[in-house]
Amino acid sequence: MNQYNMKNNFLRKILGGISFTSALFIFQACYGTPQDFGMDLLIEGQVKSKTSGLPIDGIKVSIANNMQYSYTNEDGKFSLYTEMTDNITLSFEDIDLTENGIFIKKDTLLTNYDKPIFLDIELTEE
Amino acid sequence: MITSLQRFIFRKFRDSETKLHELNYLFWECTIRCNLNCLHCGSDCKKESFIKDMPLEDFLSALDTVKVPSKHLIVVMTGGEPLLRNDIELCGKEIRKRGIKWGIVSNGYLYDKEKHISLLNSGLGALTISLDGLEQSHNWLRNNNKSFSKVDEAIGLAVSSSRLNFDIVTCVNQRNFPELTHIYDYLVKKGVKSWRLFTIVPIGRAKDHSELFLSNTQFIGLMDFICNLRKKKKIDVKFSCEGYVGKYETKVRDSFFFCRAGINIGSVLIDGSISACPNIDRTFAQGNIYSDNFYEIWQTKYKQFRDREWTKKGKCADCSNYKNCLGNGLHYWHGDKKNVLVCHNEKIG
Repeated sequence: MNQYNMKNNFLRKILGGISFTSALFIFQACYGTPQDFGMDLLIEGQVKSKTSGLPIDGIKVSIANNMQYSYTNEDGKFSLYTEMTDNITLSFEDIDLTENGIFIKKDTLLTNYDKPIFLDIELTEE
Repeated sequence: MITSLQRFIFRKFRDSETKLHELNYLFWECTIRCNLNCLHCGSDCKKESFIKDMPLEDFLSALDTVKVPSKHLIVVMTGGEPLLRNDIELCGKEIRKRGIKWGIVSNGYLYDKEKHISLLNSGLGALTISLDGLEQSHNWLRNNNKSFSKVDEAIGLAVSSSRLNFDIVTCVNQRNFPELTHIYDYLVKKGVKSWRLFTIVPIGRAKDHSELFLSNTQFIGLMDFICNLRKKKKIDVKFSCEGYVGKYETKVRDSFFFCRAGINIGSVLIDGSISACPNIDRTFAQGNIYSDNFYEIWQTKYKQFRDREWTKKGKCADCSNYKNCLGNGLHYWHGDKKNVLVCHNEKIG
């Protein structure tokens, strides 16, 4: 940020503060959405078979206490944003039965994370 | 005395914001296709449009000219109905990859559980859904008898996500004006936390329907209604930032009126035009992403937006409130721009 902008930023904060009105910097356009405070976390990863080391397609990746879920693609990869909470439990579940083997469901608890997260998950075959 | 001082300081703040003109809010008119045929549509959107959706890569090329985006920058996809794009999740993900947040303005018709989840997965953080009344009046304005039940489902889903910063917007008109209290009760019951009320701009299809516009008495009634609900503090109710409302300023919204179009708000319109809010007259376009560098235009043009002296004409010429209002919302300057289309303060009297 150049000196001009720094000075202006300082000035706007002072003026905004002493005009006793809130929402000066976080505004929304008349016909637009509210601002987004970005309180989410990107979780990406890859799911592989513990036995073969090969990626597994079609594994359901879901978040506990949340309706969000996604599926792994043919490279075993998944990606989703979810709300940042103190801890997040992800479940990896084989829902396509025998299509590419049967894998045991696995839960992973995420704590003390920094964003974004990349997970390497291995599932055990039944 | 305190209010005069506040206004004075706020004008200084507004001048400083104008000088800085940090891009914080970027509309992307990603489609003008729409699945509804609303009576009040200012864009005259249609189900079938000969104008194709803007390819994602075209928009990203423009966005990528913003080398150091403001930390507050959000891209808001609008239309038409943005959910008609079948690549909307990809659009969102690409925007987030660039460290920029995104949101959509939707009529809620296509917002079902699957869509809700896929949008959240793609980093959607802000959502506005239009609700224009209880079932009968909403369906009338939306010109579709399933519209209310669809939007009711969408609201339920949006409310269920604490991640989303979500609000409801309502265009107040002759039909829904008498039921505003019931709409409020409905929203409280649904668990909605934020409600914004608008009036309708006499442009596009809207100008042919007199039922869409409030009388001056009704407009004052609307201001009083909002004031009273804000005192209750049950949900955040506000009048939109569409215009200057004189003695009701800060009583019907959180801060004084400030039309930030072209100051903090930019847009990329369906044909590549670079402008501000999509409802602003298209002749205000400052350039085109297909021939110009978007951010260079943002930094160097927008004179009509950042110096509003030219609006001091027509009924604004001798107005004693001009220094607080600066010609009302810029979307009220259409056609020959000889006079402001609506003066809210005049309605209040």
